[in-house]
Amino acid sequence: MLNALALFFVSGLAVGSLYALGGVGLVILFRSTGVLNFSYGAIAAFSAMFAWQLIQWGFTAPLAWIGAILAGISSSVVYGRLVSPRFAWREPTVKAISTLGYILILIGLMDFIWEDTLRKIELPTDKIGVLLLGVRITVTRIVAFVGTISAVYGMTEFLGRTRVGLNMRALSDNRNHAALLGIPVVKTETLAWGISGALAGFTGLLFANLVRLEPNVITFMVIPAIAAAICGKLESLSMTFVGGLVIGVTEALLTVYKPLAPLRSMVPFVAAGLAILWLQRNSRLIFATGD
Amino acid sequence: MNVKLLRFVLQFSLLLLIVLVLPLVVGSLWVKVATSTIIFALAASGLSVLYAQLGLVNLCQIALVGIGGWIALRLNYATELPPTFILALAGIATSLISALLALPALRIRGLYLALLTLMAAGAFQILFTAYQFPNGGDGFWGVAPQSAIAARRPLFALTDEAYLSFTAIVVALGFVLVAYHRATLPGRAWAMIKQSEASAMAAGINVVLFKLWAFALSGFLAGIAGGLLAGELGQLDARSFIAGDGILLFALAVVGGVYSWVGAVIAGLLFKFLPALFNDFGVSTDLTMIVFGAALLHAIMTAPRGIAGQLIDTINSMGVRHD
Repeated sequence: MLNALALFFVSGLAVGSLYALGGVGLVILFRSTGVLNFSYGAIAAFSAMFAWQLIQWGFTAPLAWIGAILAGISSSVVYGRLVSPRFAWREPTVKAISTLGYILILIGLMDFIWEDTLRKIELPTDKIGVLLLGVRITVTRIVAFVGTISAVYGMTEFLGRTRVGLNMRALSDNRNHAALLGIPVVKTETLAWGISGALAGFTGLLFANLVRLEPNVITFMVIPAIAAAICGKLESLSMTFVGGLVIGVTEALLTVYKPLAPLRSMVPFVAAGLAILWLQRNSRLIFATGD
Repeated sequence: MNVKLLRFVLQFSLLLLIVLVLPLVVGSLWVKVATSTIIFALAASGLSVLYAQLGLVNLCQIALVGIGGWIALRLNYATELPPTFILALAGIATSLISALLALPALRIRGLYLALLTLMAAGAFQILFTAYQFPNGGDGFWGVAPQSAIAARRPLFALTDEAYLSFTAIVVALGFVLVAYHRATLPGRAWAMIKQSEASAMAAGINVVLFKLWAFALSGFLAGIAGGLLAGELGQLDARSFIAGDGILLFALAVVGGVYSWVGAVIAGLLFKFLPALFNDFGVSTDLTMIVFGAALLHAIMTAPRGIAGQLIDTINSMGVRHD
């Protein structure tokens, strides 16, 4: 029993890291552009499918991984550069809703290019494992966990200490004032879309390996990722990380508890719902239409 | 001719066309498609009330349709009540559930409300998948492993054609209900709340009551849509109520236009009719998704009143020219 618990704990930790990684990508974009990107999962899915396609074409695995990240960057930047600036002066809800349009486009494109069959992405790290507390942990899971921690640490440092990070924070505070100060708005925003896209590509690749390679499934991974981001108030990277891990681990551990096992995938939604209600507990009436 | 009268005549003749003529001229497959289309038009009109009157984004309308369908099916199998009465009960129960779910969310607006409704849609998707829809089995959930007993329909609407006419009349009544709300006291209260909650309150408007009222109305329409869908299909499948479809329905309601019933009908057409049409032509339905996505971006960017707004402007300008 204890062994089973440990097993689910480890698997939950890995999946939770992916939620957290997704959340980090969302928060970074939201903090610099004010866009909550619902299409983040679709971008991740597209990247994973692209990597799969590269492997089918006979590319070696490392090239395919780089391909996934490049696909993430480019599909994210295409939206960020071509579509997003047109909504720059609209309220956050409208910015978020317009990314729903991009989800539909990407899903349509993926379903059109790739027929619905069983696919798999295998990573060389799947075969290597270490024994911890009687549970064999594959290196892929460790990569997911360590990768997420480094992303959180690296991004926190990047936003807090570099010039570009400062620009990003300035943009998120007030786009007009930032532009007035001479901050290169378009360049900074494009960079944010690129970073977020790269993280999406990495998340998509690992998710395809650890959970499932299916466009629709990876696309809706964005919901637990948003749940993780909400735990960090769409602002704090470290709280997003904690939120993602808690959600992933709770979800995995519920498998053991039979009465709730069929409902275990509800964990992210319930967690995020409660987090939103908790965060808004002190809100007051609003005098203007703006959010 | 008076523009208002002209508009009324146009609307009434469209209804007559759907109720009397459409069932006779189209094939049996298209009767079903037409029924689903107008059912989802009703669900979309509920979304539109929240978005147009109060600026609230609701991504879980599909889940509420599912709840309405669940209640209708459960009552249909458990009781001998007439299906029309069950339909009304499903609408009322769903409107209460919708208001109840909205109660803790009343202070939330904007992005966080959209997220909250998305989370609710995801949670209901999993509930539906875990417990399935009643199909004549025993117990609270009423699910039998093997069952093909379809839900009862009203006695005067047993055939698909008659059911289409019945649906069209119910949906038209739903649209009238929405139009009535928009034109009277609740509509004025909502308009004020949308501008500023604080001034609405200062003007003596019960903000909590009217916000709940909007959610209840939206839920009522979703519940009726769910009940109608249960009657049309006989049984419901959890796969029809996934969160992704909730997003899609919202997107299409915006593309269609949220300020009039015409937009809701266009949303219904895009949601159910266009994919069927593409299927019929042998064109991949995946392409419809790409078109929808582009249409949503276009609508948000340049046509806030959607396709319906553009159509109505055209018709109105024609009316002016002939006066």
